[in-house]
Amino acid sequence: MKKVAKKPKATEIKPKKKLISKRVVRPRRKAAVVASKHEIPLSDMKAEQAKYYTGITGPSEPYYKRSAVAELEHRQIPARYDEDIIVLQIRDPWWAHSYWDVSSGTANRLKNELGDVFDRARWILRSYDVSCLNFDGSNAHRFFDTSVDFDARNWYLNFGSPGTSWCVDLGITLPDGNFITVVRSNTISLPLDGPSWVTDEEWMIPDDEFRRLYGMSVGLGPNVSSPVGKLWQERLKKDISSRGLASMGVSSPVKKIKEKGNFWLVVDAELIIYGATEADARVTVQDKAVKLRKDGTFTLRFALPDGKQVIPVVASSAHIDETRTITPIVARKTTRNP
Amino acid sequence: MLHGHLPYVRHPEHEDFLEEDWLYEAMTETYIPLIAMFERLSQDRIDFRMTMSITPTLASMLTDDLLQQRYLRHLNRLIELAHKEVERTRWVQGFQELAVMYLNIFVNARELFERYHRNLVSAFKRFQDAGNLEIITCGATHGFFPLMGVVKASVRAQVKVAVANYEKNFGRKPRGIWLPECGYNPGDDEILKESGIKFFFVDSHGILHGTPRPKYGVFAPVYCKSGVAAFGRDTESSKQVWSSVEGYPGDYYYREFYRDIGFDLEYEYIKPYILPDGVRINTGIKYFRITGASDEKMPYEPRVAREKAAFHAGNFMFNREKQVEYLYDALGRKPIIVSPYDAELYGHWWFEGPMWLEFLIRKITYDQKTIKLVTPSEYLAENPRNQVLTPSMSSWGWKGYSEVWLQGSNDWVYRHMHKASNVMTSLAKQNPDTNGLKKRALNQALRELLLAQSSDWAFIIATGTHVSYAQRRTKDHLLRFFKLSEDISSDNIDEEFLKELEYKDNIFPEIDYRAHQ
Repeated sequence: MKKVAKKPKATEIKPKKKLISKRVVRPRRKAAVVASKHEIPLSDMKAEQAKYYTGITGPSEPYYKRSAVAELEHRQIPARYDEDIIVLQIRDPWWAHSYWDVSSGTANRLKNELGDVFDRARWILRSYDVSCLNFDGSNAHRFFDTSVDFDARNWYLNFGSPGTSWCVDLGITLPDGNFITVVRSNTISLPLDGPSWVTDEEWMIPDDEFRRLYGMSVGLGPNVSSPVGKLWQERLKKDISSRGLASMGVSSPVKKIKEKGNFWLVVDAELIIYGATEADARVTVQDKAVKLRKDGTFTLRFALPDGKQVIPVVASSAHIDETRTITPIVARKTTRNP
Repeated sequence: MLHGHLPYVRHPEHEDFLEEDWLYEAMTETYIPLIAMFERLSQDRIDFRMTMSITPTLASMLTDDLLQQRYLRHLNRLIELAHKEVERTRWVQGFQELAVMYLNIFVNARELFERYHRNLVSAFKRFQDAGNLEIITCGATHGFFPLMGVVKASVRAQVKVAVANYEKNFGRKPRGIWLPECGYNPGDDEILKESGIKFFFVDSHGILHGTPRPKYGVFAPVYCKSGVAAFGRDTESSKQVWSSVEGYPGDYYYREFYRDIGFDLEYEYIKPYILPDGVRINTGIKYFRITGASDEKMPYEPRVAREKAAFHAGNFMFNREKQVEYLYDALGRKPIIVSPYDAELYGHWWFEGPMWLEFLIRKITYDQKTIKLVTPSEYLAENPRNQVLTPSMSSWGWKGYSEVWLQGSNDWVYRHMHKASNVMTSLAKQNPDTNGLKKRALNQALRELLLAQSSDWAFIIATGTHVSYAQRRTKDHLLRFFKLSEDISSDNIDEEFLKELEYKDNIFPEIDYRAHQ
């Protein structure tokens, strides 16, 4: 399907180490990148995916016919809604995703007011640290700018400070350095990446005890050595996070996909025994009764392993005391070379 | 705690529809075996406790006439195939026994299904009414709440519609909720409170990184400021079931999920049981055990697997006893250990899962005195005094937050989702009281919006099986929503179009669009 949001180029992929650093974010030109499509280790997903697994893995549309009545299905959803909007959403304690758009009315107004300058202006995301304050547009603790391609209309921002709150302006920087806000986002509060330093008098717990309890709570056991603030990272590294996401290793029922270039061959054999007699006769094959079709024919199908099979087929008439026996003897021997 | 969920997959416009198999397989392999287990336990007068979420989408499918009929057709086909397999495997050591095993599974499933008049929700309800099972609800269509932060009206609709659906199915209000994907955003508990919900679950870091610090870690529930309780997931017991080192389902003697006769057998023979256009799919009949890492697989041996399941249940119980003994000393109060899993992984993916669970319940009842199975409601009644804190935003997805549902492949959906939510909110505001055709259109608009919000679509798009289907579902419901909303706004409702949508997307007949506020 055609994607509706164009992706900015992955200009700078942050190594994971940096993702978790708590350093102060300084204004940077090229701050964020789109998460790589392949970032989730698929091998870790099997347990959850199994629910949706029918054996079909191809990218094709296997069996989805279009409905005749709902003509809509041939349409695409609109790429944009002609509105002034920027939305921030938390991805994790460090990163957030933003998407934006500017209505044609607003764009025209800017063009009219700024003239040629507008065409030379750079689009900027200005991120304000608004932790614990009522933001009025000028009282942020700090801010940093990220140059963006307006048409990407979405961007991942690395704030790098778990537990802080952020608000983002989409705007333009004029050649003289002035910044004009076009649209302001909602405010988000990033979650902590470790336990809070706030304690509760009534429910006090000594640090050492809390560390042991934390270790047990996340499956690392009570005897953890790292400081409590590092334990979440330790757990993530051990990959014992969420349901079934634990890497299943070799012992798991993970499908082995036959690798390309790895030539292979599978051969097996089955035997079909078929025949016909009077429609109302009684027939057994290897002493087991067989159901005849209306016309007195019958077909049996057997997986044929190596070795000899003696297959007596006995038909008894329904009317006279008479039987016929025919006994195919079949042997299979398989050799492999090499 | 088992989380039973599938997205709403029902396509009356097609005679056969591949993705409906998700439901049929889960019915045969998970839901029916669980109900059969509950029956055996209650016959043996074992007073067990278990918590289970049955999501409104799943409950709606399980109570739907068309899907019930189709399931029966599906099962009858499987029974026919199993009969053929019993005959075909006569000469192959070990396989005929397996074919008979499958035949029995399918025949027993049909018997149980018919016994509950094809309504498995009524079967689950029976065990809730008996006091053994605590059934909780979930977001109406499993929308991921943390990515609805700017459209809280949709969170509210997910909860309200879910609660109304639960009441219809279970005859009382739900006490608890499983937040879709365990996704919690601070403040969402206020919305739960509006609907009378008393507790929910978060992943371990939701409690551990809460403010202020939790005195008991995840081993006691906490109250949010709203008064709603949050239970934290215990990682150790989850690890025991899923990790590569200690995890049970990877045992070499357990059944291999990925070797299915739908792929292994000769084409003409298997053709009637795969897709009508001849593309091979899984049938559910699987003859091999995991064996090891290589492609060479040994035949499955049910007796050995059963012994393994019993052994693993004993091991799980032993570890919980040790864990509880340690924690009881450390905490100075009775700890609670919350072990949530996807229900469908029991039986469907881990074939021996329900068997393991039954062994575990029986062993806990008879073989020890340290631990006790308990439901969240019972625990709260017994331990009403708990710390007050604000849990941290979290989910049980990969890396613990929103990344599974918000990344390069699926982040495009939120612009449209939020737009639709905002349109829905204004429609509900503009039409506080309406009836007739307009009311129907508004109700249908909310159905379409909710169906688009299922977190399953973003998950599938991110992880890569049935991607085009998930993309289509997202788009189709959005397109249907926007068409309806335009018609409503312009007071020009196309009744034929509405009728078709009511027939296709017939979920939640009791819906009230005013839930979206």
